[in-house]
Amino acid sequence: MIDAQHIDLSFDGVLPVLQGVSLCVKAGEFVALAGPSGCGKTTLLNLCAGLVGLPTGQRLTVGGEAPVLGDRRVAYMLARDSLFPWLSALDNAAFGLKVRGVPLVQARETAAAMLKRVGLGGSEHKLPKALSHGMRQRVALARTFAMPSPLLLMDEPFGALDAQTKLQLQDLLLQLCQEGERTVLFVTHDLSEAVALADRVVVMSSRPGRIVADVPVPLPRPRSIRALQTSEDFHHTYRQGWTHLEAGWVHHEG
Amino acid sequence: MKADIVRTWGLHALLVALVLGLWEWGARAGWVDQSFVGSPLGIAAFTVENVTNARLWGDLVWTLTAVFASFAIGSLAAMATGLAFVTWPRLEAFCEPYIAALNVLPRIALVPLFILWFGLGLGSKIAMGVSLTFFIVLSTTVAGIRGVSQDHITLTRTLGASGGQLFFWVTLPGAVPVLFSGLRLGLIYAFLGVVGAEVIASERGLGQQLAYLGSTFHVNGVWSLLLDLALIGVLIMKLLGWLERRLLHWQ
Repeated sequence: MIDAQHIDLSFDGVLPVLQGVSLCVKAGEFVALAGPSGCGKTTLLNLCAGLVGLPTGQRLTVGGEAPVLGDRRVAYMLARDSLFPWLSALDNAAFGLKVRGVPLVQARETAAAMLKRVGLGGSEHKLPKALSHGMRQRVALARTFAMPSPLLLMDEPFGALDAQTKLQLQDLLLQLCQEGERTVLFVTHDLSEAVALADRVVVMSSRPGRIVADVPVPLPRPRSIRALQTSEDFHHTYRQGWTHLEAGWVHHEG
Repeated sequence: MKADIVRTWGLHALLVALVLGLWEWGARAGWVDQSFVGSPLGIAAFTVENVTNARLWGDLVWTLTAVFASFAIGSLAAMATGLAFVTWPRLEAFCEPYIAALNVLPRIALVPLFILWFGLGLGSKIAMGVSLTFFIVLSTTVAGIRGVSQDHITLTRTLGASGGQLFFWVTLPGAVPVLFSGLRLGLIYAFLGVVGAEVIASERGLGQQLAYLGSTFHVNGVWSLLLDLALIGVLIMKLLGWLERRLLHWQ
């Protein structure tokens, strides 16, 4: 689904951001990109979304083609919920479908079902100001999953939530991903989140971002966030990832 | 809470009654010259007489027509220019010195030119209102559009939105709160500009009536007209407040 080969990228030609990054994500895989802040995780995600232009001569394909901004096969979820304050929860959840040309009635029906699925049945007509942070992020999840896009690009979607809400939403994301064949590229700086959700954790070094490890997660699906807390495999994989993260820092400082 | 409101209004009524009572007493006793400051009962008598006079209503319609026409023309032109400036920043940079020079010019100084170009009728009053409204709404339009959440824009672009969808579904509603504060000021300044231009020279209008009453030493009439203008200003603000509550209920 995503194939990046030896990507080098610098901003303004001076500040190196990515260095020799190669990444392959197969259809149906859930891959987490973990690394320290500023290591270029979001930039790599933005390259895949077509938000950042690919330098000439570099090779990156999404679904076999060069990334294009607005590709219907891609749904993007930002770090903040990005709900439109003037739209109800229902219209926010239907927004992606509406922009992509789905008739309004049908878009609302799909969005209403998805809101119910994320536990917000009965809150359809509430404005974002009447929703908690967790509820707002649930609406953002509903907006992302209401679109039938096979590739989801998620940029630290739970980064700003409190610990308890974060665990609840991670569980919800696991369920939503298990229900449909989606490929997910998930950016996070939280290693435990990466291990809990993903099939593989790709660890990046400090800037300029390089891939220092590709750690397979041997945890069976379906998963439950609560059950993982006592899993030896979970803690083992976490320790493995942490070792690589540290190595990335040491390399950077050296 | 209710008792507080009653007490506040009671205090206001007491203060106004005291000032008006002292004023009337002073005027009758000869402490103040009625030819220069008038008297509350004289103002009330003029107001009652003027309200039943068709001339007042004709002038009111004339003034309000000029105010709303200049507000509509000035605001629409400013919003279109603001959008062009945000879309093409080089155009903004090029026009900036001219905009800055025109904006610092005392607009009332343009009235003689406007009268020469558009005559003593509505045209010169509308031109005056537009010259004030335009610059206020222009700066808030630019600030409003530039202040739209980048997250909203990024998200909408990743969805493949067209330029029209991005503008009407994201940029415009996102800019409305800031834009509205500019529109509110723009309407007040349109009112100010139109009445100011009428005072200087006009065929009709409340400002013209005010200038006539002043030049004929009809001080009670001047006070009465000033009260009318204040009342119109308050009603305009109430109308905008109502509109704002409806349009920005999501805030």
